Amino acid sequence: MNKKRKMYFRMLTASLMRRRSRMVVALLAIMIGATILSGLVTIYYDVPRQMGAQFRNYGANMLFTATEGTFTQEEVDKAVSDIPKENIVGVAPYHYESVRINETVQMAAATDMAGAQKTSPFWAVTGEWPAASGEIMIGESIAETYRLEAGDVMTVAWTPDEAAAAADEEEYVLDNTKEFKVTGVLETGGSEEDYVYMSLEDMAELTQKEVALDVCELSVSATSDELTSYAEKISADVPSISARLVKRVTQSETTVLSKLQALVLLVTIVVLALTMICVATTMTAVVAERRKEIGLRKALGASDKSIVSEFMGEGLSLGLLGGILGSILGFLFAQAVSVSVFHSSISFRPALMPITIIVAIAVTAVACILPIRSATKIDAALVLKGE
Amino acid sequence: MFVRMIAGALFRQWKKMLMIGFTIALGASLATAMLSVMMDVGDKVNQELKTYGANITVVPKDASVLNNLYDIEGEDSSGAYLAEDELGKVKTIFWAFNIVDFTPFTSTNAVAADGEAVKVTGSWFNHHMELPTGEELDAGIRNLRSWWEITDGTWIDEQEGSNANVAMVGTALADKLGIHAGDTLTLQGNTSDLSLEVVGIFDAGGDEDDQVFTTLDNAQTLGGLDGKVDSIEVSALTTPDNELSEKAAKDPGSLTVSQYETWYCTAYASSICYQLQEVITDSVASPVRQVADSEGSILEKTQLLMILITILSLIGAALGICNLVTASVMERSSEIGLMKAIGAQNTSITGLVLTEIIVTAIIGGICGFFAGLGFAQIIGHTVFGSAISIRPMLIPIVAILVIVVTLVGSVPAVRMLLKLRPTEVLHGR
Repeated sequence: MNKKRKMYFRMLTASLMRRRSRMVVALLAIMIGATILSGLVTIYYDVPRQMGAQFRNYGANMLFTATEGTFTQEEVDKAVSDIPKENIVGVAPYHYESVRINETVQMAAATDMAGAQKTSPFWAVTGEWPAASGEIMIGESIAETYRLEAGDVMTVAWTPDEAAAAADEEEYVLDNTKEFKVTGVLETGGSEEDYVYMSLEDMAELTQKEVALDVCELSVSATSDELTSYAEKISADVPSISARLVKRVTQSETTVLSKLQALVLLVTIVVLALTMICVATTMTAVVAERRKEIGLRKALGASDKSIVSEFMGEGLSLGLLGGILGSILGFLFAQAVSVSVFHSSISFRPALMPITIIVAIAVTAVACILPIRSATKIDAALVLKGE
Repeated sequence: MFVRMIAGALFRQWKKMLMIGFTIALGASLATAMLSVMMDVGDKVNQELKTYGANITVVPKDASVLNNLYDIEGEDSSGAYLAEDELGKVKTIFWAFNIVDFTPFTSTNAVAADGEAVKVTGSWFNHHMELPTGEELDAGIRNLRSWWEITDGTWIDEQEGSNANVAMVGTALADKLGIHAGDTLTLQGNTSDLSLEVVGIFDAGGDEDDQVFTTLDNAQTLGGLDGKVDSIEVSALTTPDNELSEKAAKDPGSLTVSQYETWYCTAYASSICYQLQEVITDSVASPVRQVADSEGSILEKTQLLMILITILSLIGAALGICNLVTASVMERSSEIGLMKAIGAQNTSITGLVLTEIIVTAIIGGICGFFAGLGFAQIIGHTVFGSAISIRPMLIPIVAILVIVVTLVGSVPAVRMLLKLRPTEVLHGR
């Protein structure tokens, strides 16, 4: 028995080594199939995540508003902790206050600049975003009205609430003023252009009081069902905040993203089906060529079973090797696609490797079995005679 | 004799040739399907992205300045309006074909029966237009507000024969006023009063939830703003911005003549805005950054993704064909050996083998091309619900691809054939 097995392996390796060029052809075919399989499936699974990140360009998809009056930063932090950290793209709390610029009333928004940059990636800023204290960003229509541009210095005044009350009693209370350096002009094509933007700290300094928040914008990468469940959880956990979805963004994202995924899925299926058939025909051609060899073996007295098992052994080891190489190449391809398209790396899916290898072996087996079967059925004498 | 040999080979070995032809057909269909999907994916995704609403807004020139200077927000006296009779001109600009949808808005304030002040916005819902070009178009916010959820009732139907005195109310306002679909809402406007039938309650997830939407005519009557329009939202298919369009957006005057022409004749958001300003008197058209910018980046990514997948499948198809051609030529070594033994020249053998394969490739390629078109349509209909347009450019690309791939695929096989020694092959070694 042992001897027989040894002989089997010898025949197998000898056949693979001696017929090198043909085997390379077969191996190449299987490898291409496996590469395409593992590459496309990896991309298919990664597209929603990667594309989802692109869709965050549309800006905030969740809003926190106060159930009554205003809310605080601590409440925002508490609410945000209900959402898994890795899903949060950006959080930008906003406080709106009317201020005076050149004695005309304008709206000022105080926010966390780094957060706003993430929740509103579509904001086009000529100049720089404010980074240090005493820096301000102004909307384009404000810039036009006051003929301001990046680099200019402007004064923002705020009338304390007491001043309005005191005005009746003819007591004169001075406005709080603060000088700002304009770092950038904001263009959005929307109503944001009518505001000036400063940091929360500057707002606190200008108004001489703690800043309460009116609105908080969140950009979360999640499906619309997940978002709904987060919103419900937050509204329940933090009573002072009501979390709402920005319908326009979430609904449209679901529509478009599902179409894109369906596209990639369908393309993957078509490409895979066609490639697998290609692999099968190549394998069939490689095996069919060896009818003569099969005939000779039969003439020497080999049983059909042993012929089939030897040829299958050959095919399967090719399938295994091709599958391994292909799944590695496929991952590299998916990685290259991800880096060049989305500028981020793709996660390796360990489950995909055994699947690729099994599919590669199965396709090879199916492709080999037909020509071998038909070869074992024929008359050895006829084949050897060359007819 | 040559033709007879070829025909003989094709007919006698029809099984083998069928297999080669089949593989080539598969490869060609893969290439055709992927290339046509790739070429069309930009347009298709662009259409899908229209669900995000308008990407260009047109407002009167002085509106924003007035609002800013005198802080009269909330009062409907901004003073500057666009003319309603100029709306049709939107569809006459150079890139009219790229304008998918547009709708005018007129807002006014009114007082509801119980003294509640409400903002009333007039717009088109499914306004039917017959354009001077003979085209027909249903424009309005049904498409531009696709994310609205109708929680009660239906959309306003503006088509002929339906009631004109109708309105839709936002959920927040409906709750406040206690209104349901089917109720009558009496509004007292600046100049006149109107009784409107509420046909639907909508949930927009934004400011609009506090407003009443009605037809353009009704809002104009309420506000005494006959023929006046506050703003126009335009949804256009645009090309992603590049350096040229950014430069032009700042100042079209800074371009050279040829740059200007390229810019004007490309569907950039900025050039469409410029053309809209040309046809609508005293207007400022600006891209809505949130939509326009994001669209660009998503389009770019999708296209790049499809290009890379296409390249992978093309390489796969090419290698598959090469492989099979090599395998099937190798198999015929004894036949070639015999030919050599009876004195055939290397060139004539090569010619024979190549012609055989090319003939098969052409037949297979043609079948594959049509099968590929079929695959592309299946993808188009399943995913986007519309046909994928077939570009004539595909035919030469696929033809060249198939022939080059088959020829390249035969090179190793032919080289091997030439090296064959007849005695060895015939001996069976």
